[in-house]
Amino acid sequence: MKEIKVDPANTVFARTMEILTYIGLALMFAPGIIYIVYGSGFVSTEDAVKYWNVSAADFWKITRGIKISGYSWFLNNLGYLDCLSIIGVVLLALAPLASIVAALTRSDIKYKIILAVVIIEFIIAIVRPLFMYVTGH
Amino acid sequence: MDWWFWPLCLFIFTLVIGIIAPISGVGGGVLFVPLTTAFFPFHVDFIRGAGLIMALTSALSSAPQLTKKGLANLKIMAPVVIVSIITSILGGIIGLWITAEFPEGKYYVTIMLGIVLFIIFIVMLISKRVEFPEVKKVDGISQKLGITGAWFEPSLDKVVEYKVTNMPIALPAFAAVGFIAGMFGLGAGWANVPVLNLIMGAPIKVATSTSMMIITVNDAAAAWVYLSRGAILPIIVIPSVIGITIGARIGARLAVIARPRIVRYVVLAVMLMAAVLDILKGLKGLGYVQIPF
Repeated sequence: MKEIKVDPANTVFARTMEILTYIGLALMFAPGIIYIVYGSGFVSTEDAVKYWNVSAADFWKITRGIKISGYSWFLNNLGYLDCLSIIGVVLLALAPLASIVAALTRSDIKYKIILAVVIIEFIIAIVRPLFMYVTGH
Repeated sequence: MDWWFWPLCLFIFTLVIGIIAPISGVGGGVLFVPLTTAFFPFHVDFIRGAGLIMALTSALSSAPQLTKKGLANLKIMAPVVIVSIITSILGGIIGLWITAEFPEGKYYVTIMLGIVLFIIFIVMLISKRVEFPEVKKVDGISQKLGITGAWFEPSLDKVVEYKVTNMPIALPAFAAVGFIAGMFGLGAGWANVPVLNLIMGAPIKVATSTSMMIITVNDAAAAWVYLSRGAILPIIVIPSVIGITIGARIGARLAVIARPRIVRYVVLAVMLMAAVLDILKGLKGLGYVQIPF
């Protein structure tokens, strides 16, 4: 097979994404599988099964008596395996952002600007729920 | 019924979807959300959340290899996702807002999902694929950004170089696709690939690979909306992701041996059936029709 020269920005993007994906999957699966097998967590599997037919908003009101708006529902409860497995999901959801940040360092000026805009949009996507929560929306 | 019955069903169901997807050429995410909505007892919020994580995981698993080979191209993805990130986040927010604010919101979303699935069915039925489209004139944006690429094509035993065009026409299309992906938790290869291939003139392998790259960014951005509303439930997500991951590996091996066209038609027929069932289920919930399921 002939070798072709892949743009360094693409290469570093791929490497970063690959590493974070492996870590994210491991973090999601290991506690997630134990949670499903043993059944106890921030929300027990028994309760999850009982109320998984109601909307996400109602599910949390019924099972834990809380209104979810932000990330504290899992960040404050990392001692529970279901919440711990969400950290894996968080890493997977961060993988593209981290890959774009890595690619930015190897891009030319035009793409540095474009990727910087994408990064800002991504960060707004992450912090938006916290801002909405603080302002009471 | 024991609590583990539905998670086990979900695992087997996603395993089958994973096997069928590479053989039929129809994305697993597109099958998962509408079929699960039609046949499983979960609320559509959790199904969309699981669908997004499934599509994200699948795209994250394949995009790095495709990028290293020169098939997925950051230069095409970057300008596209500037627009589609915003719309995919909006889609997620509006989708969850409808189910949280309206008592019948779940049924509205289910009907809309059926309609979207019907559109996807039509797109998949009529859209053609062009192996190596000829790009005669490059648009201003693509030219200024220097969007070109190359990869080694084993079937031709040579390095294929390509360029793309029509970026101003493609951007609104990607905006619409991002919205649908965020709102319904769908992977969006069914729309990304025709836009990249037929409108922008990217070779089909580049289009399918770059589509994966675009899905990683769009779905990851929308996933934050679902995370912040508690719409990601491990008891639904974990069996689904494990099932589709194992299934996709089996399916990829089977696809190398044979890709009978009949499988694609069967899957398209199932999609059409799911579209009809979702619309009927939504109408039943709103009290417009009486059906026994």
